[in-house]
Amino acid sequence: MYVGVDVGGTFTDLAINLNNGRNLILFKLPSTPKAPELAIINGLKTVLKSQNLSSKEIKRFSHGTTVGTNALIERKCGKVALITSRGFKDLLEIGRQTRPTVYNMHLDHPKPLVDRHLRLEVSQRRLADGSLHVPLEEIELKEISKKLKKEKVNCIVICFLHSYAYPEDEDVCAKILKSLLPKEIKVLTSSSVYPEFREYERFSTAVLNAALITVLGSYLDRLTNLTEDIGIKNEVKISQSSGGLMSVRMAKKFPVRASLSGPAAGVQGALRRSLAAGFKDIITLDVGGTSADVALLKNGKPVEVNERDLAGFPIRIPSLDVNSVGAGGGSIAWIDRDGLLKVGPKSAGAVPGPACYDLGGKDPTVTDANVMLGRLNQESLLDGEMKINKQLSLDCIVKLAKELKVDPEEAALGIVKVSCATMVKAIRSISIERGHDPSEFLLFVYGGAGALHANDVARELGMKKIIIPPNPGILCAEGVMNASLSTEFVSTILTNLDDSGIVFLRKTGNNLLQRVNKWFKDEEVPIKQRQVWWSIGARYFGQNYELSLSIDLSKNNKNIINEIKQEFHKEHELNYGFASETESIQIVNLAVKALGNLETPSLPKVSKDKVKEPIGFRETIFELDKRYKTPIFNRRKLVANQQIIGPALIEQMDTTTIIFPNDSCVVDEWGNLIISVND
Amino acid sequence: MTMSPINAELLRNAMSSIADEMYIALMKSAYSTNIKERKDHSTAIFDSHGRVVVQGESMPLHLASMLGLIEIVLEKYGKNGIKEGDMFLSNDPYAGRGSHLPDVAIAAPIFNNGELVLFVSNIAHHADIGGMSPGSMAGGMTEIYQEGLRIPPIRLFENGVIKQDLMDMILLNVRVPEERLGDYNAQIAANQLGKRRCLSLINKWGNDRIRDGCDAIISAVAKRTRYAIKDLPDGIYNFNDIVDDDGVSRSNIKISVKISVKNDEVNFNFEGTDTQVEGNINVTMAGLQASCLYCLKVLLDPDCPQNHGMLDPITINAPKGSIVNANFPSASAGRAQTGQRIIDCILGALAPACPEKIIAAGNGANTSAAFFGKGKNGKYYVYLETLGGGAGGRSYKDGTDGVQVHMTNTSNLPIEALETEYPLMIERYEFNKNSGGAGKFRGGLGIRRDYRTIGHETTFSGQGERCVNQPWGIFGGKPGQTGSFSIISEKGKVIRLSNKPSALRVGTDNIISVKTAGAGGYGNPKKRSEKNIIEDKKSGKFSQSFIEKQYYK
Repeated sequence: MYVGVDVGGTFTDLAINLNNGRNLILFKLPSTPKAPELAIINGLKTVLKSQNLSSKEIKRFSHGTTVGTNALIERKCGKVALITSRGFKDLLEIGRQTRPTVYNMHLDHPKPLVDRHLRLEVSQRRLADGSLHVPLEEIELKEISKKLKKEKVNCIVICFLHSYAYPEDEDVCAKILKSLLPKEIKVLTSSSVYPEFREYERFSTAVLNAALITVLGSYLDRLTNLTEDIGIKNEVKISQSSGGLMSVRMAKKFPVRASLSGPAAGVQGALRRSLAAGFKDIITLDVGGTSADVALLKNGKPVEVNERDLAGFPIRIPSLDVNSVGAGGGSIAWIDRDGLLKVGPKSAGAVPGPACYDLGGKDPTVTDANVMLGRLNQESLLDGEMKINKQLSLDCIVKLAKELKVDPEEAALGIVKVSCATMVKAIRSISIERGHDPSEFLLFVYGGAGALHANDVARELGMKKIIIPPNPGILCAEGVMNASLSTEFVSTILTNLDDSGIVFLRKTGNNLLQRVNKWFKDEEVPIKQRQVWWSIGARYFGQNYELSLSIDLSKNNKNIINEIKQEFHKEHELNYGFASETESIQIVNLAVKALGNLETPSLPKVSKDKVKEPIGFRETIFELDKRYKTPIFNRRKLVANQQIIGPALIEQMDTTTIIFPNDSCVVDEWGNLIISVND
Repeated sequence: MTMSPINAELLRNAMSSIADEMYIALMKSAYSTNIKERKDHSTAIFDSHGRVVVQGESMPLHLASMLGLIEIVLEKYGKNGIKEGDMFLSNDPYAGRGSHLPDVAIAAPIFNNGELVLFVSNIAHHADIGGMSPGSMAGGMTEIYQEGLRIPPIRLFENGVIKQDLMDMILLNVRVPEERLGDYNAQIAANQLGKRRCLSLINKWGNDRIRDGCDAIISAVAKRTRYAIKDLPDGIYNFNDIVDDDGVSRSNIKISVKISVKNDEVNFNFEGTDTQVEGNINVTMAGLQASCLYCLKVLLDPDCPQNHGMLDPITINAPKGSIVNANFPSASAGRAQTGQRIIDCILGALAPACPEKIIAAGNGANTSAAFFGKGKNGKYYVYLETLGGGAGGRSYKDGTDGVQVHMTNTSNLPIEALETEYPLMIERYEFNKNSGGAGKFRGGLGIRRDYRTIGHETTFSGQGERCVNQPWGIFGGKPGQTGSFSIISEKGKVIRLSNKPSALRVGTDNIISVKTAGAGGYGNPKKRSEKNIIEDKKSGKFSQSFIEKQYYK
């Protein structure tokens, strides 16, 4: 038995795979934000009991948590001190000396997580070539340790310039402080969290990590105590922003890697499902109540990035390149000062929610537009649990339409279109703007509101096929359940692409490989399940942004200089529309990703029973003046190979799928809906 | 045909995503630090009349240059003289609509079925455009001929082919031509990208609907700007402020504004402003217009998309030959300094009209430090950066410490990148204690950044402002501290430099120390909360004696 748990702000989702995939149980219960572990354990107990199962059979328990992110947003994290070279204590606060947007004089970046009186300076300074400009004055650390003991800090971060290449001073400083301070005060160095150049981003990442150490550490202790209590023998695995899992040991050391893991888990789930269905190039679209997340997977591999933001601070951690925009079912439609129709980013949320929920919401939302157009059920949602008042949707959209001086129907269609345009923009920026043509990709749609908008989005981008998994609302938990162990090591290189540069590259590669092997050993990954991916960050000499190239360093490729050159020019052309053969290339860094592929259960299949007929009909508006009496199907009753020709609606507990007139849909053996867009 | 507000929004969204894409592609593939790190570039799409329809994220100072760019190309070549496959180039503030020479604009027309439908263009600040001094930004020059290569609007591409002779001539006139070629390539590629994207958009919508859509998008902004101006009470608002000096011959240069607001229209009148100066801080009409538009936007409607519609309800009068509307051939490379002061002046004037939105004067400069020398590898380098300072106190919170204000929002270069690429070392990068003016909400602190020359001699040029005239506080708030440039010798002797040092020789292991101004406070210091005063002290940002003097006496 495998268990995957995804904890969100409103719901905790559990995915439980039994009998090696023959049975997949999905369970949703309200989250317990103050102690998220309670909902997890209660949910698990409930399912085990109802299915008459023993917790001893759990082979793996994997978990994606937002405890860290929430603590940061509420600024309820550990008390952190920072030690840096003399003259640089304000670096963390100055940041990049910019304001968040040019035209807003009232918006600031968040205040640093380390108060200024806890940012302390020591005599120490190394230059870019590693030479000592000012040696570390160890004696000053005595005073500092006394002060920090008195201040009762939880964690100390040591941040010196050029430590990405010369970490020795940070290490010495850490060692001395550890010897002077009680064990419960954690000490960590910027180079151990993320050894890359660009000091502000490195320091910021280290500080975020430090701020989360106590928060996530105590949460994981509470959780593992409870899992042991109920008899789970195998260790809990934690989901990372790269989509992979890590051990509790790693999560306690690098809590920052657990942030932003939610969207990444969804992408993992999509990857597993699409590969099983035979598709390798997909763009994912996850639409919830307030936001839409999109990602691109080429050849079965998601794109990774390092540059992310967490609660307004820059972080550099390996993450899946998930682009998030404020468009969801609850997004509010409004008329801007210029008279144009806007949708979002403000959302009606779960409370008061869309007008049709009749919980006091007065503003027209995307959901209201879909109710009015007959795309969503006009009586109830959530298998009848949530009553819908169609008239309230109508009322607020008629009002909006009057102000816009258009027909109410046109207004409703406009709301859907404008909100889809926001999703389209998000997809453009991860596909077209990076040299990928979306028409060569499949649109993989999930999240409660994804399947309602898939068609508009696909058409706008020229995409031909849409895939909707059997349980779109719970794909993140499924993704967590099926993920692999992973980690990444990176080294800044900053060398020319020539023979001596390659020698240095290979030497760095060997060092990284040693660390990878140690990690494989520590995490007990069997040799057969080990996998290593290399990537080189390169740019033209004089540029500032590097492109990531997949180069397999384990092969003894003699002509590696040419291989890197060709790959780089190709990527540059793809990304920026030109390449310059005469320019010299600089290698900026080398990164290695290690994967420990875990045993994963197979996915359950749907029956090949007799084809099911529609359960009813509803009048649905697809385009202006084009309304159809549209058949409604029950998703749970659909059978493998069943074909449905649009117009049609397919309803399930938390999702409605629309099939446009002339489009066709087929149910595959795993229960995915595969829609062919007939444009 | 007029377009519905729904379709107009859909088209605007699609067009602005193209301008944004051009903006990012240019930033990521360029070579000049000004573009790749400091984002000193802008992109826009124009209709066939040469009106800006959408802009990518952009520098305020480029705004008006964009607005006039295609107009002047149309003026020179006429609609019929513009052909498919053309690309135009321009940088001159007088023959073109530039605001200073390093900002190079490149524009391309887009045709469909033989009909001119749109233009795309971008403006980028090159690290060098030739002239007397490396980096083309140094003070001390007195006419535009000394500042670099002047390019009127000319054809760079014909029939889709670059005029190589022209490019060769441009590159011969600039320093580090290999890198500049990279910048030109990045600009050209960004336009070609924009062209491809616009063409597929035009294919989808058709020429006529694109034209109707552009009209609708522009008039929506005009409507929106008028709506915003209505928020200001009708009246006449005056203010004066002072620019420290022009780095050559004149000090304490006055800028004067009278703003008349009536219903949904506004007039800016700069009568009484001092005449243009010998130094390079003159502002031409494009720069003045940009400064006025910036102020309206930040005060009234920060989220307003930018296009030609913004100009609709606005008129500007400025005496010809004054420092805010300078005549040929005055020097203008450092025009951002005066631009910052124009903004201080307009905000100061409008303070009584919108007291809760206004902020006190900030560091009011585009403080720059430029180094030119020969590195270890024997190659010449040019390195220019700009520094932030304090931002003004606000009606409900303190001003930000150490940040770029108004006209500029360029980020710093990471110290680790700077020290790897150049033979310079940063000795300290910190807040300037006590530099923020006291107030109910205090002004932000200025920055101190010290540069040490490593193993070589270098030439230093800098520009500072608010080094003499303090940034004012407002509604009882106290002014912020001034900034300065100094040189510290190997033996530790400190000598204060001028506020606009030009081509100064700096010996090995000397330190150039730059301090930027803090900002003014907002409201009476006596009303500052105890909690905030305690924080001032605990953080070490202010000394005990400062706090006692400002808040307890």
